[in-house]
Amino acid sequence: MFPWFKKKGSASTAKDRLTIAIMSDRDNNNSYPFMAQMKAEIIEVVKKYIGVKTINITKDVEGDFEALSIEVQLDKNA
Amino acid sequence: MGNVIAVISGKGGVGKTTTTANIGLGIALNNKRCVVVDFDIGQRNLDMILGLENRVVYDIVQVMDGEASLSQALIKSKMNDKLYFLAASQTKDKTALQSEKISKLIESLREDFDYIILDAPAGIESGYEHTIEFADAAIIVVNPEVSSIRDADRAIGILDSKSQKVKDGAEVAKYLIINRIDAKMVQSGEMLSSSDILDILGINLLGKVPEDKGIIDASNQGKPIILNPNSAAGQAYKRIASRLCGEDIDMPELETVQGSFLQKIKGIFK
Ligand SMILES: Nc1ncnc2c1ncn2[C@@H]1O[C@H](COP(=O)(O)OP(=O)(O)OP(=O)(O)O)[C@@H](O)[C@H]1O
Ligand SMILES: [Mg+2]
Repeated sequence: MFPWFKKKGSASTAKDRLTIAIMSDRDNNNSYPFMAQMKAEIIEVVKKYIGVKTINITKDVEGDFEALSIEVQLDKNA
Repeated sequence: MGNVIAVISGKGGVGKTTTTANIGLGIALNNKRCVVVDFDIGQRNLDMILGLENRVVYDIVQVMDGEASLSQALIKSKMNDKLYFLAASQTKDKTALQSEKISKLIESLREDFDYIILDAPAGIESGYEHTIEFADAAIIVVNPEVSSIRDADRAIGILDSKSQKVKDGAEVAKYLIINRIDAKMVQSGEMLSSSDILDILGINLLGKVPEDKGIIDASNQGKPIILNPNSAAGQAYKRIASRLCGEDIDMPELETVQGSFLQKIKGIFK
């Protein structure tokens, strides 16, 4: 009744934490089994032309839309 | 052809066996032939909750291995003659369950019963996978608590990738039961509400069951709480069983504290 007396419970914290944890669980479990192999092959191809440090591949899901982002980090010293 | 429903949770100890016993009896009370099967191999709990522990002679693994016939192993409940029970074996052998044998057993149960309810073991290992393998539907039991909800989501993920129905291109129906709700804690914002949980998991709600001390007494006696007309949890299970039998039963508000000061004031102005 008196908002300054109302103690805010931790349920909303639980909801926020769970939403994030479950999103990341679902992502991990949906990542492709061939991801590591594909990464290695892409590195091989790019290396033929230019020095490569690492490659990051991430899967983004937004509603029905799915995309793979491939980020190639170049090795300046190569 | 009977309907095969697996009762699952991911996390252990959230109320799968209690749910299986109560809705099994509830379905029988709705005049449908129902069998409850203990898939928690190595543990054996459902017989105690149903008060049938002294009647077990043959178990599910013996039936699958052809050492006993199904009719020898099925135990008829003393409480309702439409309810039958098939016991788990107490073997520690992890290879006791095999897909072809389970499939054959479930097919014969389908011919004989309207509802086949499978009580899954805790976790998401092979025992769990075997329980969901041939199910048409799953009841997911959660407590309003973070680890239960997170583990349930993992169990649902496995259901959606490993069940035979999904492999055949169909869908496994999913129903959520939120068990052990404490209305006071939800009201004060200390416990996740059912709408929070539904937002997070995104599956259909089958029912809400309140925290109820009477459940201990019910299991002490081997008489499921659904038989107690004064129990709030018992009434909740009754409604859930009727919904499963196709009745349209409204979802009463379990998350408002009855008789609170505020409620009484609201009552005056009604
Ligand atoms: N609504 C409730 N109110 C109070 N106690 C409950 C409620 N539901 C279940 N319990 C208690 O919680 C405990 C665990 O319940 P139960 O054995 O049904 O869980 P389970 O999911 O089958 O466990 P396991 O994963 O070990 O098989 C039991 O002691 C039971 O009496
Ligand atoms: Mg159990």
